[in-house]
Amino acid sequence: MKIELFYAPGCERCAPVKAELQAAAAMIGDVEWYEVNVLDSLDRAVELGVLTLPTLAIDGELVFAALPTPVQLRQALLKRIGHD
Amino acid sequence: MLTIGKLALAGNISADALRYYEREGLIAPTSKTDSGYRLYGEDAVRRVRFIQHAQACGFTLAEIRELLLLRQSDSACCNDVRQRAIEKKLQLAAKIRAMQTMSAALDRLIVECADGAQPVDECPILAALEQVDVDTERTP
Repeated sequence: MKIELFYAPGCERCAPVKAELQAAAAMIGDVEWYEVNVLDSLDRAVELGVLTLPTLAIDGELVFAALPTPVQLRQALLKRIGHD
Repeated sequence: MLTIGKLALAGNISADALRYYEREGLIAPTSKTDSGYRLYGEDAVRRVRFIQHAQACGFTLAEIRELLLLRQSDSACCNDVRQRAIEKKLQLAAKIRAMQTMSAALDRLIVECADGAQPVDECPILAALEQVDVDTERTP
């Protein structure tokens, strides 16, 4: 699975949660983690429908309305691999 | 102090628009005359220009109200404003993309209508638009 965390440089809300989310994703196993600066990848962000920051996409899909908690992310990832 | 007329003149805006800004919580008179006429401080001109510039960048009045609050907040920093500017840019880019899609759809319809002398009831553009309506109605 591919996770993209869309953020803007200088975002103070992003840094504290980023490490926790990445750790939650790593516990699942086969997960690729990407951090996407929207200013460098505006087209990609628009393609996925990113309107607010920070936000997170799983396999190119914005699964959450807002940035999830590590527990919500873990549940979503487990559901995707059929372990819910 | 400025009357609403003088502020409107200085800000190149109508008095009605200023009253609308007031109803939206963007600007407020500093005081009123004994007769009830609004009076504004000199900083009101800067505030009106701020609102106009922000509108020109695509911010809604509600968003501008937040920007004005941020401007007055001791705990806010430039990154808070920057974040809003980046999110606005994302919204604008999404709208541009949607409009490009609409424009491309129109291009296809225009190409289909090669013979402009056809009667209206044979117009392929109108026929295609009707077809879209039928498809939409079939969508559950």
